Amino acid sequence: MLKNRLPLTPLAALALTWGAAFWNVAQAQDTIRIGAPLPITGPLSPEATKLQNGINLWVETANKAGGIKVGNKRMKVEVLAVDYQSNTPRAVQAAEKLITEDKVNFLFSPMGSGATKAASSVSEKYQVPTIAATASSEQVYDQGYKFLFGTFTPNQTLTEPLADLVQKQAPGVQRIAILARNDLFPLAIAQEMEKSAKSRNMKVVYSEKYAIGALDHASALSQIKALAPHWIFATGYINDLILIKKQMADLRIDAPVVTMIAGPAYKEFVDALGKGAENVTSAAWWHPAVRYKGSDLFGTTENFNKLFRAKYGRDPDYGEASSAVAGAVLQLAIEKAGTTDRKAVREALANMKVTTFFGPIEFGPTGQVHSLQPPVFQIQNGTQVVILPEAIKQGSLRLGVK
Amino acid sequence: MLYLQILANGLMLGGLYACIGAGFSLVWGVLNVINILHGSFIVLGGYLAFYAYSVAGIHPFFSLLIAAPVFFALGYIVQSGLVNRMIGAPVLLTLTLTFGLDLMLSNGMLAAFTADFKKVSLDPPLGAVLAGPVVLPVDRLIAMVLALALVGLLYLTLSRSRIGRAIVAVRMDREAAALMGVRVKTVYAITFGLGALMAGVSGPLLAMIFPISPLSGSAYLSKAFVVCVLGGLGSVPGALVGGLALGLAESFGSLWLGPEHATTLSFVLLILILLVRPEGLLGRKGYA
Repeated sequence: MLKNRLPLTPLAALALTWGAAFWNVAQAQDTIRIGAPLPITGPLSPEATKLQNGINLWVETANKAGGIKVGNKRMKVEVLAVDYQSNTPRAVQAAEKLITEDKVNFLFSPMGSGATKAASSVSEKYQVPTIAATASSEQVYDQGYKFLFGTFTPNQTLTEPLADLVQKQAPGVQRIAILARNDLFPLAIAQEMEKSAKSRNMKVVYSEKYAIGALDHASALSQIKALAPHWIFATGYINDLILIKKQMADLRIDAPVVTMIAGPAYKEFVDALGKGAENVTSAAWWHPAVRYKGSDLFGTTENFNKLFRAKYGRDPDYGEASSAVAGAVLQLAIEKAGTTDRKAVREALANMKVTTFFGPIEFGPTGQVHSLQPPVFQIQNGTQVVILPEAIKQGSLRLGVK
Repeated sequence: MLYLQILANGLMLGGLYACIGAGFSLVWGVLNVINILHGSFIVLGGYLAFYAYSVAGIHPFFSLLIAAPVFFALGYIVQSGLVNRMIGAPVLLTLTLTFGLDLMLSNGMLAAFTADFKKVSLDPPLGAVLAGPVVLPVDRLIAMVLALALVGLLYLTLSRSRIGRAIVAVRMDREAAALMGVRVKTVYAITFGLGALMAGVSGPLLAMIFPISPLSGSAYLSKAFVVCVLGGLGSVPGALVGGLALGLAESFGSLWLGPEHATTLSFVLLILILLVRPEGLLGRKGYA
């Protein structure tokens, strides 16, 4: 995996930034510069690799086609990545530095809802259109900001279809246990799950949080086992969820339905757990099995998958697709506006109504996309199989997770 | 019933913590060096086990045998080549040195292994055994027993062998030991080597349980700190007691206060120990 691309070390990122700054003096007229504060080192570094994969594919594809069409000339794209070491305050500093010192035209948000919200105050202050590829929590978008646009639908769009599906296909599932990472997104999605379950008269028998960086979940899982739930819903990032699932197997905990968000969408989850990943359900904002015919530079979903596979040797996941569509959407807005003027591009984003390889993109009044329907999937025989929505489903929900 | 399971969970976790903390405690106690590299050595040991298993099919329990001499040598070289040059300097300087080395090592691992999480998944998995109503995961059980054995072995080395007595002598009084003909710098290098060895062999044990990534060293390091302070600096039985105390505190804390407060409880415990018994549960100045 990812062998063909080593992650940038902070030093290299710095060198890139400096180098680019000198280069800029000569080239400023012909390139569009986009800043990307990324958690290249620190606990979120696997996520940064994914964001870079998507962004790099977009940059490469756009430049290969001659660049972005601005009025009647074409401009090349350049992305300046700065490492914020998985440290949110540094993400805010990095965003400010990119805008004021590196003079970027536009910005991509840092990773996740928390850091996106923190950095959005800076881009709003300088009125820089900013695309968030990995922020779903509504609290990020309800600040009245005009320059922030996000490609993930709100969290409940993941839990509601999931709860519907389980209720319809496994009416015996009545008791749910929820274990959430004490972090903005994992907690928000757990709260949405609790709401979705309660509104369907399911009984929430356990609902607890675990600390960021927890190394052990045996106690919480022993308690959950004693409560014999039908549905275990765990949230966190991939390392948390690998550990939780491993400890569930260790403690011989089984349940008809086990859902984990967000980790099973990644191949590493299946690689790390082997058979232990079988029948785990999850939901994500995108899946390579969706089929859209877009007007963006990638065109169809198939074509995006093909380009991605050619560059990285495997299928894209939703994070990679989302960071690529963030670029594609920005490109569409610049082309529509016919200028790199920030206010004009902001207007084009706000009025956007297009279909992309990622799905239909239309931003709501808060700037969060509201036109997408996230797929539900399940690990079956070692691969992710889409089980919802009906139009693209590849299999049906299987019960029983060991 | 639930309490028995939580007790078993806590003891097994405690065994792993003892293993993480023992080498760190030894180096801190004898050399007065806070070895920030310790966590990354554990991670590097984990990668050794991962590649030994996935490439050569060597079971993690056997990669311990490879890890032990490799990490001893690594530790010996780091100490004799680098840390010994500034061993007399204030503790903050050696801390800065190991911090810098840690940055280099973790970024080196990031470049070499990528940031993805990897996990040693044994095929077939080791599964779990039932002791009455209590489920004991076999990998944790074996890891705990091995961890205890390693800590015991370290204790015997320090208390029975000639080099062990020299280490303890240097710890008690460096000048007096030097006057008695102990080659202090060699003893330092051997001690650092032993500390690195303990970290390196913890790696394969932990790799069976936790996902490995180049930057997870800091999580282990923070546990090592707590284990050390709870048990008493430089004391090997202290690391064992500290590890078990931390494992039990986290397990029962999680049960009574909810999982998000498990670590809070362990740090409250840490502060209490510092207030009431600053030398740690088993700490006695000067003895290993």
